[in-house]
Amino acid sequence: MNESRITLYLQLIGVFAPLSLLSFGGGQSIIADIHKQSVDVFHWVTQAQFVDLFAISRAAPGPGALFTTLIGWHVGGWMGALVASLSLFVPSSILAYAVARMWNRHGDKPWFSQIQRALIPLACGLILAGAYAVLSSSSGGISIWVIALVAAALFMKFDKINPLPTLFVAGVVQALVRAWL
Amino acid sequence: MAQVEQAVIPEDELASELAPAPFADVVWLFVRIGLTSFGGGLSAWLYREVVGARRWMKDEDFLGALTMSQVLPGANVINLSIYVGHRLHGGVGAAAALAALLLPPMVVVIFIAMLFQHVGNVPWLHNFLEGIAAAAMGMTIAMGLRSGRRALANGRWSFGVIAAVFVAIGVLRWPLVPVVLVLTAIALVFARKKRTIE
Repeated sequence: MNESRITLYLQLIGVFAPLSLLSFGGGQSIIADIHKQSVDVFHWVTQAQFVDLFAISRAAPGPGALFTTLIGWHVGGWMGALVASLSLFVPSSILAYAVARMWNRHGDKPWFSQIQRALIPLACGLILAGAYAVLSSSSGGISIWVIALVAAALFMKFDKINPLPTLFVAGVVQALVRAWL
Repeated sequence: MAQVEQAVIPEDELASELAPAPFADVVWLFVRIGLTSFGGGLSAWLYREVVGARRWMKDEDFLGALTMSQVLPGANVINLSIYVGHRLHGGVGAAAALAALLLPPMVVVIFIAMLFQHVGNVPWLHNFLEGIAAAAMGMTIAMGLRSGRRALANGRWSFGVIAAVFVAIGVLRWPLVPVVLVLTAIALVFARKKRTIE
């Protein structure tokens, strides 16, 4: 393993491990920062590659957090994928494990629900900011926004629909729009 | 979360006794959910299987853990899986649930990316994926709006926090760490008193 590889792994850890503990509201909330670090700061991926990898992680099964796996894989192969994934999953998982053990002892205390109430609007703001960051950095034009908003309305209205057909139709629509306009 | 609320199973269908959860069955369930969950909804699926179909956990136990997994940093379903695994088989169960949920789709997603790279830079494929990403962002927006509705139920101050986070992170692209720390401190002050239900 040469020095540049080690530097890369340390950079991946340096970016994703702190984000792990800041990803309130799920992986969505740190997308804006992942975008900034991996495209603008470290140039691990280009803007177009970022959007492609993001779409692949959504189209594939598993948690959306696997997007991080793809960034690591793109810049550092299988080992990069492993390092990036562990950096993102391990810190928050250790915290979750510790809290899971405490949960039954303190779940009914008032300070617990205070923290809960405080973090809900933060999660909400971060989730919406992440969506905004991805959409506004997309090269797909106005149709991207229309698709996102129509899909949002659809998913709000129908809780239980399988998202796959919607995602597929959205892909076809965007491909057709770009081919004709 | 909203999906789970709708999937609540009537009490009379729930056995008071919990069924045993063999280790191999637990691991297999997490492998299956990890590999078949296109586009999200993993928590709701876990609920149906763990509480409903298999009766491994009690309803209130699971829903309490669901709340916790949303408050904590990290992907919700990952935190939830750690809790369920820990509940059923201790520390080893938590680690096994996490590995079973993540490792198979990790390999699959990389193979899909390799395939994509192999096919090369085809414009329509890029546009197709961009459309998928946009719809997935629609799903994210829907989730954000739902959590916003829940936040506003705790008081109108929530709107100020939501707007401040959105502008600072989404529009101005300020660094995440200080923004979250400062706004969490402010939000904790506002969240001191529980709002009486009107």
